[in-house]
Amino acid sequence: MVVSPVDQAVITRALVAAADEMGIKLIRSAHSPVVREAQDCSAAILDKDGRVVAQAELIPIQLGSITHTFKACLKYHPLDTLRDGDFLINNDPYSGGQHLPDIFLFTPIFMDGGLIGVTATVVHHIDLGGGAPGLNPDAGDVHEEGITLPPSRYSIENDWKGGPFERLIRANVRMPDSTIGDLNAQFAANAVGGERLKDLYRKFGAETIIPAMQEMLNYSERRIRTAILNAPDGTYSGQAWLDDDGRGGAPVLIKAEVIIKKDQIAVDFQGSSDQVRTNLNSPFASSVSSAIACIKAVLTDPDIPFNEGAERAITVKIPHGSILNPKAPAPVRARLLPSYRVVNAVMDALSHAVPDRVIAPGFDTTSVSCLSHRKDTGYNIYLEIFGGGFGAGPDNDGCDAVDSMLSNCSNIPIESMESDYPFFRVEDYSLRSSSGGDGRNRGGMGFQRIYRILEEDVTFATYGDRFKIAPQGLKGGFPGAKAETFVERGGQKIPLESKQHFSLLEGDRLVIRTGGGGGYGEPKDRARDLKKQDILNNVGGNIVQ
Amino acid sequence: MSKDKFRVGIEVGGTFTDLIASDGNKIKTIKVPSTPLRPDEGAMNALLAANIDASMIKELVHGSTVATNAVLERKGGRVCFFVTRGTRDLLLLQRHDRRSIYDLHYKKPEPVIPRHDTYEITERMSADGSVVINLDRINAAEQVRNSLGNGRFDSVAICFLHSYANSDHERILEEIVHQEFPNLPVTCSCDVTREFREYERASTTTLAAYVQPVIAGYIKRFSKSLKECGFKGRFSIMQSNGGRMPAEAMAKNAIAALFSGPAAGVVGAIRGISSSGYNNLITLDMGGTSTDVSLVSNGESKLAPMTMIDGLPVKTPVIDIATVGAGGGSIAWNDDGGLMRVGPRSAGANPGPACYGRGGTEPTVTDAHLIRGTLQADSFLGGHMDVDIQLAKDAFAKLGEFFELSVEEMADNTIRLAEANIVRAIQQISTERGSDPRDFVLVPFGGAGPLHAARVAEDLNIEKVVVPPNAGVLSACGLLLSDHIHYRTKTRRLALIDDNIKNIRSVIVELENETSNYLNSLKIKGKIVYDKVLEMRYVGQAFEVSVDIKNEDIKKLTAQRLSELFAKAHHQIFEFSKIEGDPVEIISFRVGAQINPETLSTNETGATCSSTLGSKRIKMTERGKRLTADVKERANLSSEPVNGPMLIQDVNSTIFVPQEWKVSKDAQDNIILVKVN
Repeated sequence: MVVSPVDQAVITRALVAAADEMGIKLIRSAHSPVVREAQDCSAAILDKDGRVVAQAELIPIQLGSITHTFKACLKYHPLDTLRDGDFLINNDPYSGGQHLPDIFLFTPIFMDGGLIGVTATVVHHIDLGGGAPGLNPDAGDVHEEGITLPPSRYSIENDWKGGPFERLIRANVRMPDSTIGDLNAQFAANAVGGERLKDLYRKFGAETIIPAMQEMLNYSERRIRTAILNAPDGTYSGQAWLDDDGRGGAPVLIKAEVIIKKDQIAVDFQGSSDQVRTNLNSPFASSVSSAIACIKAVLTDPDIPFNEGAERAITVKIPHGSILNPKAPAPVRARLLPSYRVVNAVMDALSHAVPDRVIAPGFDTTSVSCLSHRKDTGYNIYLEIFGGGFGAGPDNDGCDAVDSMLSNCSNIPIESMESDYPFFRVEDYSLRSSSGGDGRNRGGMGFQRIYRILEEDVTFATYGDRFKIAPQGLKGGFPGAKAETFVERGGQKIPLESKQHFSLLEGDRLVIRTGGGGGYGEPKDRARDLKKQDILNNVGGNIVQ
Repeated sequence: MSKDKFRVGIEVGGTFTDLIASDGNKIKTIKVPSTPLRPDEGAMNALLAANIDASMIKELVHGSTVATNAVLERKGGRVCFFVTRGTRDLLLLQRHDRRSIYDLHYKKPEPVIPRHDTYEITERMSADGSVVINLDRINAAEQVRNSLGNGRFDSVAICFLHSYANSDHERILEEIVHQEFPNLPVTCSCDVTREFREYERASTTTLAAYVQPVIAGYIKRFSKSLKECGFKGRFSIMQSNGGRMPAEAMAKNAIAALFSGPAAGVVGAIRGISSSGYNNLITLDMGGTSTDVSLVSNGESKLAPMTMIDGLPVKTPVIDIATVGAGGGSIAWNDDGGLMRVGPRSAGANPGPACYGRGGTEPTVTDAHLIRGTLQADSFLGGHMDVDIQLAKDAFAKLGEFFELSVEEMADNTIRLAEANIVRAIQQISTERGSDPRDFVLVPFGGAGPLHAARVAEDLNIEKVVVPPNAGVLSACGLLLSDHIHYRTKTRRLALIDDNIKNIRSVIVELENETSNYLNSLKIKGKIVYDKVLEMRYVGQAFEVSVDIKNEDIKKLTAQRLSELFAKAHHQIFEFSKIEGDPVEIISFRVGAQINPETLSTNETGATCSSTLGSKRIKMTERGKRLTADVKERANLSSEPVNGPMLIQDVNSTIFVPQEWKVSKDAQDNIILVKVN
């Protein structure tokens, strides 16, 4: 049946709104600041065949994985075996997941005895056990990173709500009240989405909703294909490097070949580095999501809804055993670092195809700042995700001090963290004045955060990148400034690596500086009034090569 | 309208300036074009056009978009901003997120104060309000002289970390600025909002300081013009919370006026139909570019704790209104994926809808109504404006070809989609916040609201639509009908135990006295109603939850009752509350004194319809059906319900009654639409 244009538009809007509402309720009812303040979570609605049709646009990298984690669940628990009151759960990086803290929770929605769709939420949980609180930079395999919840089905009534599965989780995590509270927020958000879906079915009937959902997928696919069609056919290659694998040593290469043919794109990562010993491996789903997110950002308008249809025009090939498709049980906690280089390599390739649509490389790194404090009464774990400067574009300066492209975490307000985490105080949170690469358009600035440690038994854990290799400018622009982290202790400066843990003492000052983005065009071409503003605001560009 | 003194409401909107005047017997309404560059001139023009002698006005209530425009156009004052050392870039760092996640060229909302006008002061509080680093008065005074000495600044904003917990340092710096520069207005963050989250508080504080000089100047100029015309009455201004404030007080608290326009409409709706016994309503204000909707329970509108202007957060209580880009000028289009869309782009006032013949070629909602017949060519501005239906049809032709539908079908679809967008906005403020729209009546107003109300109601299962008299100028009515409101707050930390009940009561009484004395000093007479709010929290928490205390609670005040009220309020916001018996404390008290103004008496509300149109029958298309509908004037309706389809011409709006609906008029002159089951 063909859905009338007006019904189609109404249903599309309503489903996207329902997913947005799920996201808002999830953030509001969550317990941990990483969800409540930083909003490290996403939500989606799937059709009755398990395809993602509408998503709350919160965290790009999580969105791509909802499909993959759900399909893995279906392998063990096909749709026709699901019952009202069931839920499906999965955080397994080797079954469509990305890294363990992101738990994907699915609630099948039933009406009149039949399955009408599935609601899904994913939340970054503060601690899921493993070798260290919040983040274990030294993990040698995925088991040291925490508890794996393989794709499985449980019953809300029997297994959750104080049941055996809830108790199993409670027993394996360091801050059980937060984790269970955040999972309950996921259940609540899924229920809200379910109610909205039922309302729509009641109003329009299955005979309209089902083809309308189908059309939503086709719609995204059409728009992506139209955009690809406008790019010139050809084979383009690009590359990018990580500083190292976290144990020193040589830079790690990510290589992409992008083949544009009519309305289809194929990406092949042949030639990328083998998997590494440390947690810098990007599971298949993360790598694919990153490549698609980059293509979508470069080629299409920001308003195209991201759903499964968007992926149909793009195929991705990655050799098994490489850093972008590791073999179990390689550790994967810092998967976003190679994922970001996927973005850089794909964008480098696309810069040969559509030079006017790309931007200079930015900081493009997720820097994790994790401080944990162990007291007699238990753990208190703080975790925040930092971005830096965006690369400059042909017509704009790069955005300053903002989360990097694949993520979209808010900062935690100083006033909020200091009341939740009394073991430190923030002494400085400011822009790094000359960290954006100079150019006709300046790269975005990174920022500085300084913590004063107020108690003993505080541990810092981190991963990051761009300590050694700066993001280069484009068309004569200068590179962005590199990142650095160090500790000031009794007048001494102790430099830290980009990926490590470190025991802090009371009175220490922990200084984190994130990097800037690359500039675009020659600095001499910068508009005079912009130069004046730069001087007035003391934000000149980085001119260190 | 001769000897009696007038009460006048003047609402300055983007396109039109509306005026309503009452002399106690009759009311008069008028619409004149706004004068965006000098809005007070439009207001004076309205007085002139209404032929009202300013010396005969005893009371003038004013609402305008001056504060809003100052922010949107970045035409506020130059503000010097003082912050805690280490937080200079608070306004630029914002929340580190992107509102459009795939946008490579993302740009953060631009703060109203540049980096080079922000100065750090050495001082520090901790989360529990204890002092970590003392503010040194001598150093601070020197720094104040250095930064402000060159005389470039119009006002000063101060936002220190944790000032919601301890405002001493903000107060000290304020005092220093006053000593050194007695003429500079100072805005402290603790006065604007006492809530944690430094970016949101700083944003609100700087916005307040930014619009301050503009509003003060505007009010001064307007007062002067009024005085020159012989005005000797009371001059008050609408606030975003739906109450009015004396103009001279508003000049010192400008941020309170940021969203006064939509607030006035809601007050107009509440007060306009309360005499008919309607207390639970959803308001629908549809104008040229957008539609505002809001929810009213038990005669009170909800206040939202935060809103945004131009992407910048504002943490002052504002009537909770959802806005959607669906207005008469909203454009229908198809995107490159072939999905039909209506809005948010609008043809605005210029060129306006295609049928206006001012060069607009894109199809709008108004054009769609003209094609469908739900707007008649002779009903635009009471027949004073020429429209061309052929231009409307031409505008829809291309879209019709794309979707392979006739122009008539496209017009019909455009309206349905605009209505669906409004339905979504209403769901946002009702179902998404736990209220069932079926428990409410829908109250449409603004030029286009009454045209869409019945179909919007249907989609939400609302069975009744109430169109108040003067629906076209309801915001101006709301100005006249709004309460005088004055708030005072006091920070006093008290544990919630029965031994403290006496103290709690005495603080409330003290604030009641202060606020009522203030209103009396302004010679505002009437029965005072007090709005009492306690800011409470669980001991150990860093921020408070506002708890409304009703009169009946005051009589039988116990720690138990207060803690129940607190737990309920806490649960509503955070979706959890701790177990009973967890210690709770009161941090501060806020009391608002409200005085109800004279209402517009019912015999006043018979505004004359200036249209000379007689009853006739027309053909129209609606929801795919060809219909024959009666066209009537408001005056021709009675308490006896008649069946739709029907168009009712009102002074400044048209009401559409669909086929399955009945329409009648009640004793208070409201038009009532009821769904026939």
